[in-house]
Amino acid sequence: MIFVGFGCMVLIIFLMSCSASIPVQQKSLRVENDTLAVRYSILFIIHGDGNYLYHDTSGNEHIADEEVLASAKIVAEKNPSAEVFIFHQKPRSHFLFFFPLRDGEFYYYRNGQLVANELYWRDQELANLDTEAEFYNSFRAESQSGIVRMFLYFGHEIPEFGGAGYDVSYPDRAFTVRDLAKGLKGFTKDSIKFDLMVLSTCYGGTPYTIGTLGPYARTIIASPDNLHLSYFDINPLENLDLSIQDVDVSAFAERFARQSFDRLKGEIQTTISVAVYDVDSLQEYLKSVYTTYENTLDTLNEKTQASLATVKHCDCADIPAYVIPNMNNGVNVFYRPALFGRSKNKLKHSGWECWKD
Amino acid sequence: MKSLIAFGAVLLMFVMTIPVNADGKDELKQFYSKTADKVKATENADEKREILNESFNNMSNVLDKVLSSGLISESDRVGIEQYKATLQEKQNELEGINGYERVQDSQLNSFANYVVQDMEQADSTITISVIALLLIIIIVILLV
Repeated sequence: MIFVGFGCMVLIIFLMSCSASIPVQQKSLRVENDTLAVRYSILFIIHGDGNYLYHDTSGNEHIADEEVLASAKIVAEKNPSAEVFIFHQKPRSHFLFFFPLRDGEFYYYRNGQLVANELYWRDQELANLDTEAEFYNSFRAESQSGIVRMFLYFGHEIPEFGGAGYDVSYPDRAFTVRDLAKGLKGFTKDSIKFDLMVLSTCYGGTPYTIGTLGPYARTIIASPDNLHLSYFDINPLENLDLSIQDVDVSAFAERFARQSFDRLKGEIQTTISVAVYDVDSLQEYLKSVYTTYENTLDTLNEKTQASLATVKHCDCADIPAYVIPNMNNGVNVFYRPALFGRSKNKLKHSGWECWKD
Repeated sequence: MKSLIAFGAVLLMFVMTIPVNADGKDELKQFYSKTADKVKATENADEKREILNESFNNMSNVLDKVLSSGLISESDRVGIEQYKATLQEKQNELEGINGYERVQDSQLNSFANYVVQDMEQADSTITISVIALLLIIIIVILLV
């Protein structure tokens, strides 16, 4: 009898958790003391709805999204002058095979303290960031002036075309760079750009991706080539009061990129490329090559899935149409070729990755 | 007895909330990681080469079986052929053929790590469907 009662109670709790509800719940844990100074606003989006298993050189298994989530929480706790938003996009799961569970988790930290932690649904028709933006705008500090704002995205390569199946739980739903850009509008409603954007993904450093996301950031750190799933290091974000002196974000970005590069160089045998893009300085180059790149994307978009399997990325410097005098303006690249393979003797990278059509 | 049943029921509930995203990629990644573990466990360079070669041959045979099964789509066929070609490049480098310098004996552990890291991020696995990946895994389990 006790067991039946217990079972019913558990079932009711789970059924309640599965009921259709407004994704963003009321701010029951809304910040009560809004007077504490917020100097930094950090927004993490951690994609985990895919295969994120990797092995270190000792053969230990790691789940990339879980690892970066733990590191993001440490960053949040070690920043007494920051507000930190963490969105973890998880694979869909079910209770008793039938009852779907919420597949997004939101954490909000203010002044080093966890203020809110809520589960939310990601099962909307389009892969947008509306729910995340709703949380963000509900919790963010009232005044954004003088705040250093950062946006960090962790996940697999964000598709530049197609994009179906990016979320393994929603194979028919597409997510592309353009969808991310649309989502970023929701976080920058007051037209204040992010001071720093970090794309911890493979092939983020393309003219199209940087050009599409550029309107939302002053400085972008991305990997033009493959990026190992151990991602960029985020521990430079701990204790930002000490790391960013006089709000010199571009110098901080260089240090951030250098640290990630040095760590990856010690552990990774495949290609390592970390580039820092000064968005204003590279506008001229982007204008010069954007149409060429878009034409390539249009061509690729029309290809069948089978013929796309043979399409590869390459350094834009290997394609004459992209090699123009201002190519290196505003780009600082930390690069080391793979230690094995055909490209092991390629000693330089332009910082721009293209499609070898 | 009742407490045992209650414990079992709770355990079952946890099992039933496991995410449904088993797509076969984990098993492929583990295959290369286990190979690297074996390579690093031996001191003898010839044995290291043999382990790596055997691993490449086994996977290549599995891919051939899947390709000839007639159960896969055209895009899977292209994806698997690409994957196989990536694997063949690694084997060529190990042996020092087709324009590659032979991997030095002192570099074999590092090469084994490279194979793990490169195959874990291989583009071609992205284009292989879940069905084809599961087929590969089943044959790996049966034959290797």
